[in-house]
Amino acid sequence: MTKTFRMDEAQPRLLDETGQGIVGAPLDRPEGPKKVSGRAAYAADGLPENAAHGVLVRATIAQGRVTKIDESSVSDVSGLLGVFHGPKMTRNPAQGMAGEAPVQPGDEVHYHGQPIALVVAESFEAARDAAQRLAVSYDADTDVITDPSRSETHEQDDPETAGDFEAAFAASEVTLDRTYTTPPHAAAAMEPHAAVAEWEGDAVTLRGALQMLRFNKKELADSLGIDPDKVRILSPYIGGGFGSKLGIGPEAVAAALAARELGRPVRVVMTRQTVFDSVLRRTETSQRLRLGADKDGTLRALSHDDRVSNIRDEGFAEPVSQASQFLYGAEGLSFTQTLARICRTPAGSVRAPGEAVGMLALEQAMDELAEELGMCPVELRLKNLPDKNPMTDQPFSATRLADCLREGAEQFGWGERKPMGERREGDWYVGMGMASAARSNMLIKSAARVRLTGDGAVVETDMTDIGTGSYAILGQITAEMLGLPIAQVEVRLGDTSFPGASGSGGSFGASSAGSATFLAAKAIRETLAERMGCSLSELTLQNGIARGGNREVPLSQLVDGELVEEASVESGSTADSHFSAGFGAHFAEVAVHAYTGEVRVRRMLGVMAMGRILNEKTARSQALGGMIWGIGSALTEKLTHDPRTGHLATRDLANYHVPAHADVPGDLKVVFLEERDDMANPIQTKGIGELGISGAGAAILNAVRNACGARVYDMPATPDRVITAMDAAGF
Amino acid sequence: MPLHRPESLSAALELLQGGRAVALAGGTDLYPALRDGTPPPEMVDLTRVDGLRGISRSETGWRIGGATTWTQVLKADLPPLFNGLKAAAREVGSVQIQNTGTVAGNLCNASPAADGVPALLALDAEVELAAPSGTRRMPLGDFITGPRATHLAPGEILTALLIPEADGRGAFFKLGARRYLVISIAMVSAVVETEGDAIKSARLAVGACSPVARRLPALEAALAGKTISQAGQAALTYDYPELSPIDDVRAGAGYRREAVATLVARAIGQAALTDKEVPHVA
Ligand SMILES: Cc1cc2nc3c(=O)[nH]c(=O)nc-3n(C[C@H](O)[C@H](O)[C@H](O)COP(=O)(O)OP(=O)(O)OC[C@H]3O[C@@H](n4cnc5c(N)ncnc54)[C@H](O)[C@@H]3O)c2cc1C
Repeated sequence: MTKTFRMDEAQPRLLDETGQGIVGAPLDRPEGPKKVSGRAAYAADGLPENAAHGVLVRATIAQGRVTKIDESSVSDVSGLLGVFHGPKMTRNPAQGMAGEAPVQPGDEVHYHGQPIALVVAESFEAARDAAQRLAVSYDADTDVITDPSRSETHEQDDPETAGDFEAAFAASEVTLDRTYTTPPHAAAAMEPHAAVAEWEGDAVTLRGALQMLRFNKKELADSLGIDPDKVRILSPYIGGGFGSKLGIGPEAVAAALAARELGRPVRVVMTRQTVFDSVLRRTETSQRLRLGADKDGTLRALSHDDRVSNIRDEGFAEPVSQASQFLYGAEGLSFTQTLARICRTPAGSVRAPGEAVGMLALEQAMDELAEELGMCPVELRLKNLPDKNPMTDQPFSATRLADCLREGAEQFGWGERKPMGERREGDWYVGMGMASAARSNMLIKSAARVRLTGDGAVVETDMTDIGTGSYAILGQITAEMLGLPIAQVEVRLGDTSFPGASGSGGSFGASSAGSATFLAAKAIRETLAERMGCSLSELTLQNGIARGGNREVPLSQLVDGELVEEASVESGSTADSHFSAGFGAHFAEVAVHAYTGEVRVRRMLGVMAMGRILNEKTARSQALGGMIWGIGSALTEKLTHDPRTGHLATRDLANYHVPAHADVPGDLKVVFLEERDDMANPIQTKGIGELGISGAGAAILNAVRNACGARVYDMPATPDRVITAMDAAGF
Repeated sequence: MPLHRPESLSAALELLQGGRAVALAGGTDLYPALRDGTPPPEMVDLTRVDGLRGISRSETGWRIGGATTWTQVLKADLPPLFNGLKAAAREVGSVQIQNTGTVAGNLCNASPAADGVPALLALDAEVELAAPSGTRRMPLGDFITGPRATHLAPGEILTALLIPEADGRGAFFKLGARRYLVISIAMVSAVVETEGDAIKSARLAVGACSPVARRLPALEAALAGKTISQAGQAALTYDYPELSPIDDVRAGAGYRREAVATLVARAIGQAALTDKEVPHVA
């Protein structure tokens, strides 16, 4: 039994003392060449012999019941192997960390696009043909509610409060009351969801596109009604997830059911349209921000109420006001969430659930307040930085938000910012905007195994690399701890036969799986010190040589065979005593066309303090990616639903507008401020994958306002909305 | 599903008779439109047909072959008359799409948002249509009859676009909800011939604001003799009776009307510039 380390107190900064000097270095990802040369096998690659092909059939009604699936309608399809449906089919992917089967609705239909059957054939083409032609009869409900503003089932939480908001708001010298809306978003990962299932006796192996294998294993087992020990999942390479691959999906469950029945492997790959229709989306939101302040800019009251939606029986509700609860603080705070039940593609976690949309509203409201007060937006924020979480009174474990704001303003040339509408170049208005960035940080139970074989080491954990750099950083931590050149460390991920990790989600993967890897390597160091006959503090490991107690011994001599250690980490009392979050500041300069309302982002700067940086290159890449998501959420991204059926109208990459390269400025810069979070975990890191998006879009929208007076309350700020808002502002 | 790859026009035409086979050029409209649906029983790839690819010049004008790609248009040595068509070529999808997608495919597919159509309307292009019984010609404005509808008869091949020789310079502007790789909210093309400061003739066309892209004859007539800035002003105050924009997922009708006026003014200004005057872009 592996001992579990609990994070109960600050840990020494061992990674600052080891001598290899490789942690933090901007190393290339070791699996990069495989990925760019097509040799990395993703879920749908490397088809087993004799595999059959499955295509999901999906409901074409918004709500009701399937009354008949007429298999005879496709009996003429040559190569047809079967049509699978029934009580074990799942409605949608599991929510992140569910660890149990998603809803299995039987013959009920809860949304347009819900998978209701799997057609399997000898070839993909035959399966697709049969799926297209399969006759399905429904008993469709009438009066289906697809629009959250019309929903009659509203579940409202009690407000979360600190102090007396109403009184503080009433007593404020300046107040602001605004409502912002954001549309539903899609994760839009490049790799479509795919699964290949193969049985051997009563055990199944699934090659899947999944982010959290430790949980996915249980979810698949529960869906199939088998023991988790009979499930092995392989997910060595994943082409992006952004939350959309957190939980086991209908493609995986259906593939496993059909493969068991047919006694041969079955592959199911979702089409792009199916990914949009049947994978969890981000909810739309309606957000009311009320801010009250004194004339000197001191915030006295802050309330952030939101309405989100989800389908029936899903527990997830986007935590919209998450950052609003700790970022600034005031005498009176109040946060109320309302969840509307509707018939649309179910909602779940999409990159930075909560902050990604909540901070679009909060940070625009702060900008509006600064304007009302006649204050510099950077100053307003600096004036209101708490040193404790205002809702819980926990001190922050580490925060450099003030430094990020100051450093960002300096580096961006914020001092050059002109009053609203006063900078014009030809037909273009030009403006600057900024916003704070914040994203809460977590440590999730994680285990890893490290094997030291003399001159090399191997790391094994079921942690995933969804394009984020897990292979790189886990290798770097191990190389650093064991004093090995990076090329001597092999990292094996994405296999549930390895120790179970946190998986990739909530930006906690690197901290959690990284800490487990660190602890396993640390245990090896202890054995090495013993063998060297020196104390741990005397031991130095560098380039394959151990030094200590006046001796210098190559690791290959010290270790004959293998030294194997497994370690596990989980959060402890520091998670209660302190509050950990990543912080940063975003700055943007935009040009807005005076007559068409087109917005061009000219440059962006993100200054972030996110704990110890494990790999400067992959971390930067995460931050840049997040900022580009910020551009999308501010300007282009929007899922549109058909109001009659709730069916998605924008369900491909031609109609769901992620930013194109030409929307992303060449001058897109990230600066990391040095930081160590001693309370977060034993490697002093914080999550980085989601901080980049949090607040980035608001900086752009605030820049639009500064450029041309347009304040768009319904995101995204597409050209037509910008023009309307410019007219409203008298420009 | 057989894919035929004929090398002569007569072979291609023969394969297309009988109503089973569908013409295929770059496939960038045809394939995505299939979605999960059943593919046509047979396809005839036109890109190897002799004489169908490339651009040539005759005494009366220019000939763009019926399998010419957008990249070929971009790379061809063409006079400023074609600046609008080239600008449109650069905005059709992405480089990958331009490398395989063809001008003829863009027209035959007849999307109201086809970027090639306004540019070619402003050039007074005609289409040349071949059938086993012979060849006919018709103005592009007549050829496209509605969204996804043309006068292309079953079994016919669009063998060329014919563009009359003319003086003047072209321009094209596309407006989308993102900067690139986007389906147009509206697009405008202009071909303007100037004499000193004054406009001698202007040809203007607008796409994505009516079922079929439209020329603007009344505005064109009104521009003759005006200076560029007067013309821009006229474009901004014109009421565009030719257009009937709708609300859709990309933008509202009202915005389209407003934006088009600006785009027309911009296109006139751009077309009137010489190569040395680089316009300001953000
Ligand atoms: C990612 C993407 C982005 C795109 N972006 C744009 C854009 O920005 N702007 C835009 O306008 N379009 C865009 N398109 C659509 C498409 O690329 C263009 O319309 C292109 O010009 C079509 O040409 P093609 O050769 O690929 O046509 P195909 O798909 O091969 O054919 C289209 C139709 O025309 C018929 N056809 C083709 N050639 C002939 C011929 N010579 N004679 C008779 N019939 C013929 C075919 O039978 C078919 O019905 C995009 C497409 C994709 C996939």
